[in-house]
Amino acid sequence: MAKILKPDEMLRSINYTPPATGWMETPNDLSPGRFAYPAKLDKMEYLIHEIPGQFGNPRTWNPTDDDWQLPSNWKEIVVNGFRERLDKYRSLKVFMDICVRCGACADKCHFFIGGGDPKNMPVLRAELMRSIYRGEFTLAGKILGKLTGARVMEEDVLKEWFLYFYQCTECRRCSLYCPYGIDTAEVTMMARELMHLVGININWIMEPVANCTRTGNHLGIQPHAFKDIVEFMVDDIETITGKHINVPLNEKGHEVIFITPSGDVFADPGIYTFMGYLMLFDAIGLDYTLSTYASEGGNFGLFTSADTMKALNGKMYAEANRLGAKWILGGECGHMWRVINQYMDTMNGSLQGPQMQTPVSPITGTVFSNAKQTKMVHIAEFTADLIKHGKLNLDPSRNSDIIATFHDSCNPARAMGMFEEPRYVLKNVVDNFHEMPIGTIREQTFCCAGGSGLNTDEIMDIRMRGGLPRGNALSYVQQKHGVNTMTCVCAIDRATLIPLADYWAPGVKITGLHELVGNALILDGEGERTMNLRQEPLPGFEEE
Amino acid sequence: MGLEQRIAERSEELAGKWADLILGTYPPETQAVWKSNRELFSNPVGHAIRTAASELIPLLLAWNDADAVAAALTKLVKIRAVQDFAPSQALSFVFLFKKLLRQTFMKELAAKGALEELLAFETRVDNLAVIAFDLYVSARDQVQRMRVEEVKRAHTNIVRRANLMQKDVTAPKAE
Repeated sequence: MAKILKPDEMLRSINYTPPATGWMETPNDLSPGRFAYPAKLDKMEYLIHEIPGQFGNPRTWNPTDDDWQLPSNWKEIVVNGFRERLDKYRSLKVFMDICVRCGACADKCHFFIGGGDPKNMPVLRAELMRSIYRGEFTLAGKILGKLTGARVMEEDVLKEWFLYFYQCTECRRCSLYCPYGIDTAEVTMMARELMHLVGININWIMEPVANCTRTGNHLGIQPHAFKDIVEFMVDDIETITGKHINVPLNEKGHEVIFITPSGDVFADPGIYTFMGYLMLFDAIGLDYTLSTYASEGGNFGLFTSADTMKALNGKMYAEANRLGAKWILGGECGHMWRVINQYMDTMNGSLQGPQMQTPVSPITGTVFSNAKQTKMVHIAEFTADLIKHGKLNLDPSRNSDIIATFHDSCNPARAMGMFEEPRYVLKNVVDNFHEMPIGTIREQTFCCAGGSGLNTDEIMDIRMRGGLPRGNALSYVQQKHGVNTMTCVCAIDRATLIPLADYWAPGVKITGLHELVGNALILDGEGERTMNLRQEPLPGFEEE
Repeated sequence: MGLEQRIAERSEELAGKWADLILGTYPPETQAVWKSNRELFSNPVGHAIRTAASELIPLLLAWNDADAVAAALTKLVKIRAVQDFAPSQALSFVFLFKKLLRQTFMKELAAKGALEELLAFETRVDNLAVIAFDLYVSARDQVQRMRVEEVKRAHTNIVRRANLMQKDVTAPKAE
């Protein structure tokens, strides 16, 4: 019979203290829940064909297996790929050389703040790659090895990269505090590119990338189905407002093409934001069309490789040209705007057709000279301009049950500096607004912990601990001001903040900005409004 | 002076020591960062540990409000339920208070022959662990529930269309 431990012995047998090994010696823990599922074979075979040179070693594999079925020359592929990128991107070389390990970034990452794994300190996460840089490419590292913090590429290192570069949401909060301006997101992007060369990938990124390449949106919804779904929302708008509105799809000869993340079309609660866009366009009589091919503003290529990002982004101009649009209006999305603001002109600016012009609001005459190069305007800027010029008939009392706060989505905040416009719109459509504390908003905003392709359910634990800093600030304003709604301008946020709020600040609802605009907006010829866009009773109509 | 009174007198000191023991369950690099920062928004875990320790000791002494005890435990338990811990490690923080009590008081109580005072008080700590266990399981349940709900939300309009398609196929047209 097994010996039964006395309570005190049992207590002593529980190991409270973490292993005191150095980070290089701490073994990889690849238990389920600690990684996102790898990509499906058919998606990778398709992508290898469509976007050549980016992806290698398609196979069915499982991270829990000891054998990851790497090609026999995998190490050579990774080291050569690394060398190629060091030559190609001056920034990567600088980022590898320049860090002095001052520690300013150490406690700035939401995954570290919430989880406490030292390898999620941005400095140490980047060190996972820098140590290889030193070991493989610098003389001192080759001679002195570990003394200089150098090591050579091994299978365990690759596995460690898979664990930790898929625990970075590329939110760039750490970069904000770096005195040298090291962009940690770009380090993560490079590590992921190298992993793709030998077939290390995650399905939540690769399936949307494959679908976007093939049909134009992340779920791979084909044009006829897309049209049906848009019609659902037109029907719902009619139910709510009594007004049937027209939504042009794939029509040539309109001034504007509107592109938004497809999550707004398919997923609750993004669909209410989408309805808000459609109502706004009806209210101002915008001359626009949607496109079923450019039906995904979000660009999961950003989380994959530079060439993949370029390929997916190119369809925006391709559709603008095909449909003859003069400029592009973009919906509420996060990383879509990082791609547009930081990379689009360099990557694809030459694809702009001669018909494209610097965007001018047809309603107010405002020239969006900030969008002169890309020809793309963010809808929060567009709507803020409409409100500023008194062009919208708004009734914020329809949102009077809402006590709102605003979550700055990482990319619009840190990658394009858009802080005021969404707040201006929000304050014009709700009566009650409270900011979350300084240090958790604007350029210092905390990530939803689901960005960069990590918004998949199998890593919900990782997302919840990474979501603690945001949830903690939200819970604070919930308790202090009774905040019951967090508004955001990002489709990934609209999906990921729901469980985040349920867990850390139960009772707070997540909405897009234009959902609340849609609630407040008075359309010409509408009937009496008794419900909001979610078809819940408006304040004062609860009994009906 | 009875044990409870002595705990009450040293409550602040004990809370600090308990919090340090809890922080000791994290890797050394992390402890260094979390011990030095007491701010709520930039160090929510460290803050939650210190808050829980200092709120729970008076509640253990009063021991008349289970709801208040659960409320004081909730945040820390929810944090540790999603951190990279085995369930036993996640809830070990409760028993660390027992460890602290024994380190602090056992020798002198044994010398006085008053060990039963400590044992009686430890029963409350055991009960604290059981309350924490309820909260832990409910947090884990919630995580799994959120996974399912998220998948459903992501496909709201796709499912709606799929249902409609089925209706189109099976039901005769109205006109």
